[in-house]
Amino acid sequence: MAAQLQLGREHQGITLRGSAELVAEFFSYGINSILYQRGIYPPETFTRVQKYGLTLLVTTDPDLANYLNNVTEQMKEWLYKCIVQRLVVVISSIESGEVLERWQFDIECDKTAKDDNGPREKSQKAIQDEIRSVIRQITATVTFLPLLESACAFDLLIYTDKDLAVPEKWEESGPQFIANSEEVRLRSFTTTIHKVNTSVAYKKDSVP
Amino acid sequence: MLVGLRAGMLELPVGRTMEDLENNTTVFSTLRSLNNFISQRMEGVSGLATPGSSQSSLQMQYQQRMQLEEQAGQIHSKSQLLQVEWEKMQMELSHKRARIELEKAANTNARNYEREADRNQELLTRIKQYQERETEAENKLKEQMEMNKSYKKSMETMSKKLQEKESKLAEANETITVLKGKISELQWNIMNQEMQMTSQDSQKQELMEQLDVEKKKWQEASQQIQTLQASQSLLAEYEQKIKDLEQKLSQQEHDALIVKNMKAELARFPKMERELRQLREENAYFREMKENNGLLKEEVEGLQRKLERYEKVQAQLVTVELENEKLLRKLQSWEKLDQSTGLNIRTPDDFSRQIVALQQRELALKEQNSTFMSSARMLEKARRQLQEEVLGVQSQLLDEKKKREHQEALVRRLQKRVVLLTKERDGMRAILESYDSELTPAEHSPQLSRRMREAEDMVQKLHAHNTELEAQLSQVLEEVGNHKQRAEMLEVEMKVLKSQECMAEQSTVITKEEVDALRLKIEELESERSKLEEEKRSLEMQLEKLTLQGDYDPSRTKVVHFSMNPMSLAKQQRKEEQQQLQEECERLRELVRVLKGGGSISGNLEGVGGFQSPQEVAELKKQVESAELKNQRLKEVFQTKIQEFRKVCYTLTGYQIDITTENQYRLSSIYAEHQGDCLLFKASSSSGGKMQLLETEFSRTIRELIELHLLRQDSIPAFLSALTLDLFSRQTIA
Repeated sequence: MAAQLQLGREHQGITLRGSAELVAEFFSYGINSILYQRGIYPPETFTRVQKYGLTLLVTTDPDLANYLNNVTEQMKEWLYKCIVQRLVVVISSIESGEVLERWQFDIECDKTAKDDNGPREKSQKAIQDEIRSVIRQITATVTFLPLLESACAFDLLIYTDKDLAVPEKWEESGPQFIANSEEVRLRSFTTTIHKVNTSVAYKKDSVP
Repeated sequence: MLVGLRAGMLELPVGRTMEDLENNTTVFSTLRSLNNFISQRMEGVSGLATPGSSQSSLQMQYQQRMQLEEQAGQIHSKSQLLQVEWEKMQMELSHKRARIELEKAANTNARNYEREADRNQELLTRIKQYQERETEAENKLKEQMEMNKSYKKSMETMSKKLQEKESKLAEANETITVLKGKISELQWNIMNQEMQMTSQDSQKQELMEQLDVEKKKWQEASQQIQTLQASQSLLAEYEQKIKDLEQKLSQQEHDALIVKNMKAELARFPKMERELRQLREENAYFREMKENNGLLKEEVEGLQRKLERYEKVQAQLVTVELENEKLLRKLQSWEKLDQSTGLNIRTPDDFSRQIVALQQRELALKEQNSTFMSSARMLEKARRQLQEEVLGVQSQLLDEKKKREHQEALVRRLQKRVVLLTKERDGMRAILESYDSELTPAEHSPQLSRRMREAEDMVQKLHAHNTELEAQLSQVLEEVGNHKQRAEMLEVEMKVLKSQECMAEQSTVITKEEVDALRLKIEELESERSKLEEEKRSLEMQLEKLTLQGDYDPSRTKVVHFSMNPMSLAKQQRKEEQQQLQEECERLRELVRVLKGGGSISGNLEGVGGFQSPQEVAELKKQVESAELKNQRLKEVFQTKIQEFRKVCYTLTGYQIDITTENQYRLSSIYAEHQGDCLLFKASSSSGGKMQLLETEFSRTIRELIELHLLRQDSIPAFLSALTLDLFSRQTIA
């Protein structure tokens, strides 16, 4: 009975709410992967989790987990309202404050989905396959990104529509550009409501 | 032989029994075999006896039987013997077995015994070990006891130390009391000094008064000096005045001379005045004249200017007249033009209107032209279509012609066939007639008639076919006529179109220029478009790059982030760390500086120690604080106790005892008549040995009591109580 229900849901396609949750979940795992792969936090603070048919690493640091949870929840709400345009993971050196890497997730919202409540015809399985390939690419980028030599910290910037009321504990920020950067576009995936284009920009090595 | 057989018979079971010792049935089996044997014997005997005589045989039989019985008894005894022997053997065997078993048991027992002995030894060794341990334990106990004793000793020493500390405390208290005495003494001194101060003040006041007097005198003297100086300055002024006056006098003398001359001149003055009047009048007149002259000059200038202007105007007038004439001529020409053209252009307005109308017409014509152009294009297209149609129609026509030819050929062939058939028929008829003529009509008429009918049918069919073909031919001819008509019509249309084309060509000549211009324009626009497209593409590329770099439109987008993000936290932490390190660095630098200067290393080392273990420092501080607190409390308690004690002493003995300096005690009675009345005692040693009365003002007044109690009785308490009584009695009397 339950299996049938599950099957039914999978065949049903995806709603706006489901899409927002799926994309927010992707961000959570994606950010965790980036933090692990780029060595922003020590590897022993991560634990293995099975997701999207992959073994992903998720932080066990309570402060970090709390922070990510906060951001993800807020993202979910904004994704549901279709007012978020971009999420950026900024990695910068603690010592000099210089921005070294920018992981950019451009979000294209289909605002018509707010009005029509009918679900879209794309199975969760297909979306998860797309997400899996994006996360694989994130993992693979380590091969060409320059080594982060100094101690680094990260920040999450969210580009939203101008008329957004900034909630409590949030504040406006600068875009934190990289002065001399090289960009690589990664794969994208779409839930047919939200399309997420992933790209990474990193500081060019001054010594070629 | 029998016995041997028996023995063999008997041996068998024995052998069997030897094989199986435990078989009890052997006895029975031997018995059975014996019985068998007997019966056999009996049969044999009976068999042997029958052929003999029966009389002797009975005895024989009896004897034989007896013998047999004897033999049986022997056998029986033998078997019994055998049995007994067998039993004996068995017994021996069992005995042996038992012996073997016993030996085994003995062996096992011996082994057990050995084991036991071993165990015993082990146990013994263990016991020894335990004993050793016990001795060790005892030693330890002793040591513990010794330690205990040492601890007790240390305890005692500690208690001693405590006592020492207590004694020290007591000493400290004593010092405190001593210090208090000192304080009171110092207070006394301060009082004295204050007194001195007051006396000095009064002296000072006196001196101040004297000073005032001196000052007044000085002021007077200075005033006098001032007055003197003023008079001196006045004197100098007067001298100056005198000199001035002398000078004035000399001047006046000069003036007097001048005055005389002037008087002579004055006599001439009235004349001169008259002349002056005249001259003035003349002057006024001349002035008026001059003014008039200026006015006139101005008028002249104005007129000249006017004249110049008029001259200019005149010249202009001439030119204007010339122009006017020209214009008139022009006007006339225009008017003439009007007359010649037949348009009613009277004024330029009309003309402009005309032009506007013409322009409008031009525009309309242009529009018409464009419409014509479009229609021409349309017509061209239509013409092309029609030409195509004409071509199609002509091809159709050709087809049709071919068809018609074909049909005509067919018709000819058919006609030929018809002719042939008619000839055939005629032939057939001729044959038939010949037959008819040959045969009797009665016999062959039915046959012939039938044939005739058949032939006629055939002919009719042929006729029908012929008519059909003719009808088809006529149809085809009709179609061909139709096609021809259509072709003609189309030709007419073509002609019309050709004429139209000619017309259009004329118009195209006019519009070609326009078209060229438009083409150029189109080309320009095309090139511009391509340029713009390229630009657009490059801009899009740039935009994409910028978006990849994270650029955004600030008018539409806002960037927000969580305020407590890990980045800011890390930065804050780093800042704090840095600050700490800087502080530490500064501290260390200072230390280095002090060390270089060879300063007090111990203090610095202490500082280092404190720096190295701030926890320890904190603990020590706490201890110190607690110790201080304890001390403070003790002090307070002592203070209160001392106060209480002193009050009690005062009320009980009637004397307040103060320590003024070391080993000096001041006693003041409760009943003293004056506040300053007191007795001073001095102790010979600090531990309070002999006391000596020191002389004070008050002690001089009580010589009798001192003499009586101290010198004679040598008792200070008696002296003090006597004094108390004395003072008390004095007070109560008073």
